[in-house]
This record gives sequence, structure tokens and C-alpha cells, in this order.
Amino acid sequence: MAFNLTRRRFLQSASLAAASIPLSKVVSAETGFVQSPLEPKGSLKEETATGGICEMCFWRCQLIGKKRDGRLIKLEGNPKSIDNGTSICARGNAGIKLLYDPDRLKYPLKNVGERGKPVWKRISWEEALAECSSKLKGVVDKYGPQGIAVFPHGSTAKYPMHFFERTVGTHNVSEASFFQCRGIRDTAYWATIGKAPGENVDMPNSKAIMLLGSHIGENVHVSHVKSFIKGLQNGSKLIVVDPRYSAAAAKSDVWVKIKPGTDTAFLLAIMNYLVKTEKYNVDFIDEWADGFDEFAEGIADWTFERAAKECNIPVEQIKEVADILAENAPNVSIHPGRHVSWYGNDFQRQRSLACLTALLGAYYVEGGWVPGIKPKVGKVSWAKHDHGNEHNLNYNEDEELRHPFTPPGTPTELIRDAALTGKPYPIKGCVIWGQNPIQTIPGQEKMKDVLRQMDFVMCVDVMPTDATMWADILLPEASYLERFDLVKTGTQWDFSEKHQQYITARMPLVEPMFERKDNVFITNAIAKGMGHEEEIPVKTVEEMVEKNLAVAGLSIAQLKKEDGIHLRDGKDPYGIPEDFEVLLYNEDIEDAGFPGVPTYMPVEPPPAGFARLLYGRVPVHTFNRTQNNAWLNFAMPENPVWINDETANKLGLKDGDTVGLVNSEGFKSHTTTTVKVTPGIRKDSVYMAHGYGSANPLLSVAVNAGVDDTSLMTKIAIDPETGAHGMRNNFVKLIKDGKVLDIPA
Amino acid sequence: MTSTTTLRIATLYRFCAQSLQYPDTNWLNADYLQGLYSLLESLGADDELEQVQTAFETDPDILETLQIEHTRLFINGVPHVVAPPYGSVYVDKSLQGLHTEKTLNFYAECGYSLKHGSDLPDHIIHQLEFLSLLAENNDAEHESEFLQTIFLPWFSKFGARVKQETHHPFYSVIVQLIDYLTKEEDEHGIQLDEA
Repeated sequence: MAFNLTRRRFLQSASLAAASIPLSKVVSAETGFVQSPLEPKGSLKEETATGGICEMCFWRCQLIGKKRDGRLIKLEGNPKSIDNGTSICARGNAGIKLLYDPDRLKYPLKNVGERGKPVWKRISWEEALAECSSKLKGVVDKYGPQGIAVFPHGSTAKYPMHFFERTVGTHNVSEASFFQCRGIRDTAYWATIGKAPGENVDMPNSKAIMLLGSHIGENVHVSHVKSFIKGLQNGSKLIVVDPRYSAAAAKSDVWVKIKPGTDTAFLLAIMNYLVKTEKYNVDFIDEWADGFDEFAEGIADWTFERAAKECNIPVEQIKEVADILAENAPNVSIHPGRHVSWYGNDFQRQRSLACLTALLGAYYVEGGWVPGIKPKVGKVSWAKHDHGNEHNLNYNEDEELRHPFTPPGTPTELIRDAALTGKPYPIKGCVIWGQNPIQTIPGQEKMKDVLRQMDFVMCVDVMPTDATMWADILLPEASYLERFDLVKTGTQWDFSEKHQQYITARMPLVEPMFERKDNVFITNAIAKGMGHEEEIPVKTVEEMVEKNLAVAGLSIAQLKKEDGIHLRDGKDPYGIPEDFEVLLYNEDIEDAGFPGVPTYMPVEPPPAGFARLLYGRVPVHTFNRTQNNAWLNFAMPENPVWINDETANKLGLKDGDTVGLVNSEGFKSHTTTTVKVTPGIRKDSVYMAHGYGSANPLLSVAVNAGVDDTSLMTKIAIDPETGAHGMRNNFVKLIKDGKVLDIPA
Repeated sequence: MTSTTTLRIATLYRFCAQSLQYPDTNWLNADYLQGLYSLLESLGADDELEQVQTAFETDPDILETLQIEHTRLFINGVPHVVAPPYGSVYVDKSLQGLHTEKTLNFYAECGYSLKHGSDLPDHIIHQLEFLSLLAENNDAEHESEFLQTIFLPWFSKFGARVKQETHHPFYSVIVQLIDYLTKEEDEHGIQLDEA
């Protein structure tokens, strides 16, 4: 600036006097300060806050927070916890960096630019909520409630999801946890044992554990990992079926290096062997199972030899696995899995796991599948209404279900197709809440087209994501450390210990900064604006927590008195309930046009020159949710692509080389990553961690860090029974120094 | 330095703090502009005065223009937030880092605390307001110490980013005013009692 005066001269001059007179008229007399007693250095108050529940992943460990004058300086496991105890994982510790991430959303924003290329303007909550309400109401008025699609995820999305689903009346709600993660597991077990299995395997008391494609040890769900390790310490035999030498495989007695997509064939051969040799639990099957004869007949052709050829593994290894399972039955943990959306044939695989557990008699016995007996709490939300099925996309013209064994909500692909074609009706309003559908759902360009054609897109999140760039209104949500929300219940993870139950509620460890708000505040305001004020079930999120706790005779005040966790005596979880039933053959599935007995459906093999792209977890990240976390990024800044050592040798690749990827449909990754050369991956596959390579430059740490594997998922594969996505059906080559490398056979 | 002079300096700090508030007609009005123009005139900043005046007089919706620019610079902008207004972001690469704690400690040692619901302690507006309070109190010792240990170490980076990347002369001028008001101490030492 070309000031003609030095500062000193200006301050001493008459100019200052002249200038400061008009200035004094415009400056506010108010400041952000009040006078307080003089404090000596280092007198900031230290305290411990209890009642935290982690959400750096979805296992939700119980936390306490160490604070200094309101600033959270350390997170620890709650010493009173009978779940994670004092342990939390790397991600849990790094919650502080999420809380204080400078890139976090702070104020409501309006996009005054183009959707996808936003120009943001901060607006007031009043204006933001009014706009959301009027725009969403406008969509409902013009197109009906089915004109709104909702993509929710996480604990805070339940309340708004129920509002749009139950009160507004759209069926077009699609949670990533169901349609891109574990919904297939739940529906397959529902169709077999009548309940969702969770991950309720009593590993500490097992004699054998079988994991099929599991990321345990890489997803570090603390109490689950503890129970897994305790099982191994107690001498349980470990079988890991995985094309990759995973963290769990590194602990295994048997690693089955299976060909991707053939797991069901492997399971059928084991079950056929158990049946044919009468090594199954005859008493259990006689008493608790139906459809054994149809089942036995349906799997009769699956010899070890046939499976070995299909799965590209030795006959002897399948027999070894089958014998380990039989010898240790019924104390066997057949893990139902977690992220099970793989190939678009997954329902039958998950059914197979449930049936294998039955053949081994491994339900409700020590070491088997055993759901703990949890205390009951409330589930306050919006009242349910029947909105009919006229606008349910999962019903065809003949009023038959397209995907009869779908999880709650509507399969994502049906929503996207309707939005893009306008048939059977237009979908013109979109609510994205805690989900990043750009990096969650295969077909990124399709998702962008879906968002482009909307009349209005509203996003709510704690951080910017690839999806928030597509919002018209972007609302900042309080993080899990700043808000009340869920009530969590459970038992001690080792059932050999004293039976206990716990009840805890998420309580804020710190106040929300800036203008971040909770889900109940936001949803209620929109509900009011859309004309649903009278149906609002709770005024505040605290009220919701209070009501849910009251069912168990508790309150927030009581939980605070008890350091955030209420403990009570538990009940012995072993022993089969009278109404338990296993459907080895399910007539309903057959009536719906699908195999009633678990059946193997082959998937397309990699074309010549390509390898199958597999993806999974790493201990320090939870997919794209944590990619911008400075500590976690430091621990693992990119997602190296695993390639078989012999393959790498033929291609001239070595550890640390920089590569890009191109898929069989010609889509190239927009970023690069490094190569990890290892014998721990099959030659027909490559592997990388999911959730890297964000394209949103507002994520200053994560943008372009590593490769976004979802961007390479351009082939849409849908599980026919459930409508959920298969996400490992894409094939890739590597690109080094601009040269595309064919993967040798 | 006389108490009158320090009061005038306090007003300057306060004016700079005011100028970095989110643009709103409550304060961004004709009186404010008259004050800004008068200040620039007093400083002989003719080019800057002309740029700001032109920008304000030719833009039919100057308020929204400044709101968008404020959002882009300080809150959320593509491809990135240009200059988060929190010292800790520059010193600790985080919100609420040790710099924030030092800032809060400094306030407490001088007998001040922030009102409930205020922005973070190391926000530039709070730091400028605090400097204005110290100037009002004629507390040159703490003013100097705060500038040297808390404010200037990060403001230099903040100001440079704003000056380099802003699309609007208003914010360029404001950060230069702040720089002008606070920098000389850095070069020549505090001489508030030189008379």
C-alpha cells in the first residue's frame, strides 16, 4: 500500500485525529470480551468429561475426554467400559484432529455457483432452513413425496431418514450401510435364521474360527479384535479364506488363497462333505432345521474336486478346513462378515455361511454364534405410517418385488435409474446426510448425473466430501464429540466372564463450535417448514435421549453420575430359544424365483491383461470418512496397490513405484499411488484400501492423496435377491510412466 | 504517548476488527464507508482509495459480492479456504492448538475472558479487539508482548495469503491496514512513550 506516512508519524500526526473521528462513529462499542479476575500463567482449568461414544468408525467405543479450559486435548477409553475398556484405536485417538480440523464445515452455506463447481456464500441458519423447507416442499407439491431421494448414513441420519420416510412418505431412502456394506448379510441370515446376525460370534470361547474375506485386525473394532485375539490365545484354530494375506490371515492356521468370487463353491463343498460323511450335527439339524433333504440334494454335486477347480485351491486344503470345522464343532465361530457387498452373488454366500453354522450346530453354544442379551431402551423417532407401495420402486408393474430380500429402504440403483429416466416418476429433490455417495456407490459419473438433474440438493455433514460439492445448501453438523445422540447397549464381550449389561448414551465432551447444529434441530426446523410441525416427536436431541433412557429407568443425569455408563447384571446368553428355526431350504426364496438352497453363481473372470480390483480396510482409516484427518493421513497418506511379487517382477515393478490405474472400460484414475509388491496377493487380483483420493480440494489433506478405488468401479453389479451393489467386479491394469502394463496370466 | 493517542489507536484496531466481520448491512453502511475513505485519504493511499471506491460504487450488489468473497477467503471456498482467520491454523496446523491456549492465557493474565458463545479465542477479530482494549488501557507493555508473541507470528502468513489471493480490493486494503498498524513494532520496537 502506498501510504505516504510512516506508521509512527501517522500515529503522532493530526491525520490520526482527523481519521479517527469518523471511525469512532462506526466501530462497535461491543467486543467479544468481558473483564474477569487477573489470572496467573498456567491457570487454565483441567477436567475430565465422560459420556463420549466414538464415531471415527461405526463400532462406537466408549470414551472420556481430557480437557483444558474447554479445549479437548486427549481422548481415552472410558475406564468403566466393559466393551472397549480403556483401549481406543488410532482413529479413536485422532478424533481430536477431526474435531479441530480447520477444513470442517462451520456455517450454513448456499451455493451461488454451479452444482459440482460451487461458489459458497455463508448464510444464516434461518435462511438456510427456510430454503431447504421451501425447496423440498416444492418438490413434494410438484412431484409427490416420492420425488425426494435420501442418502443417509450414520447414527445421526436415522432421525432425518425416518422423517422423510415415515412422515413425508418417500420410499426412496438408501443407506450405504445396507446397500453398499452389510445389508446382504442381514437379509441372508433373516432368510435363514430369522434374524440379523450382527457380528455375534463368541470367538473367545471357540475352538475354531472361520473368517471369509474379513478385515478384522484391519478395521480394528476394539472389542471385536479383543475377542478375536482372546480366542486365538485360548488356542482356537483360525481359518482365513481370502485372496489376500490379510492381517487376520497372518494369524491363521490355514490360509485359503481363494479365487475371488468363488467362496460359495468352497462353502458348498464343505457342507456337502459334512452331509455326505455325516460329520454334521445330526441332533441340531433334526431339532432346529427345516429343509435338510432339499438342501442335501441341492448341494450334492459339490465335491472337493469340483470346488478346488472352481476356487483354484488344493483339494486337500478344502478337506483340511472341513475337518477342522467338524472336529471342533459345535464350538466354532463362522463369522457372518461385515462389508459383504462383493460380486453381486453375495446373498447366496451369506446364506451358505448361515447354513454351515447350522450344520455344525454352532448357534447359541460356546464359541458359536451367540447374541448377547442386551438391556432394552427406547427408540423414539417419527411415527410410522403406511404409505402404500404405489411409488415403491422395488415393486414392478405386476406388484411383485424386484429384489424381494432387500434390506430396509430402496436399492440405490433403482433410485438412480428412476432419477435419470424420470420413469416411473421423476426424482427431483435430494437429501444427503452423513453419506458421501460419490465415494460410496459404484458409478461416480452416474451419481453426478443423478445430482445434476435434481431441482434441489441439500447436504448435511461434519466435513466437506466429494458429495458436498453437489449441494445447493450445505449444513454443518455437530460432530460426535459435540452432541447428544444415540443410546448404546451391550454386554461384556467375553461370555465366560461375569454376565453384565451396559447402557450408555452419547453425550457431548465439548460444546459445538461455530454454528454447528444437531440432527434433531435441523430435521425439526425443516419438518416445521414443510408443514409437519404437529408430528414432531421430540423438541430436542436431549429429550430424545432422555426418553430412550427412561425405558431402562435411567436419565442423562443418572448416567453422568455413573461416569457415562450404567452397568447391571446380565444373563447367560447360551441356550437355543424355543422359537429358533433354521431354513436350510427356503421355499419363499424359491417362490420368488431364486435358489431356495444355497447356490453358487459364477462371476465374470478378469479379461486377458487385467486383474480384479479388490479393496478393503486399513487400521488407521475408516474409508473416506477419515481421509482428511492429519494424524491418520500422516500414518498412512496413500493406499498402495498390492501386486503379486512374481507378477511385479515380470512387469518390472518394484516396491514404491508410482502407478495409476485404468479399468477394463477405459476409465483412468485421476491420481496415482505407490506399488506394494507382496506374495500375499493372488496373481489375478490387485488390492488397495478404499476411500482415498478425494476430488474435493476443500479437503486440504486428503485431496488427490492416493487413488479413489470407487472411481474405477464403473461396472454396476447388483445382487439379484437384495438389490445391493457388488463392488469387486471391475478389472484394472496399472499405468507406469504413461505406459499401460498388461497383467500377465 | 498520550491517552488520547492510544484511544485513537484503539479505535483503529477496533475498526480493523470490524472490517473483518461477516459483511452485513448492520455495519457495512455509508458511515462505515465514509470512515474507510477518510482513513485511506489521511494515509495518502490514493490508489487504494480509488480501487475500493470504484469497487463499491460500480457493484450493484456489493454486499453479496463481499459475502461470497468473505466466505471464500475465511470460511469455505473452492479450491480451498484461502486464509482461515485463526492463529492456531498457522502455528499448530489445527484449530484449537497450543496457540489458542496461549492466546486464552494471555487474555486471562490481563483480566479478560471471552463472552459465552464467542468465536475461538485466536480469531483475528478477537485478537484485534483485545489489542484495542490494551490500547484503551494504555497498557503498552502487554500490547507489545501480545503483538510480538501472539499476533504477528501468524498474521504475516494470514495477511500475505489474503493479499495475494483475494479477488476484491476491500480485503486487500484491510489486511494492509492491519499490517500497517501492527508491523512497525516488529521492525523498530515499541516506542509508545517516546515523547
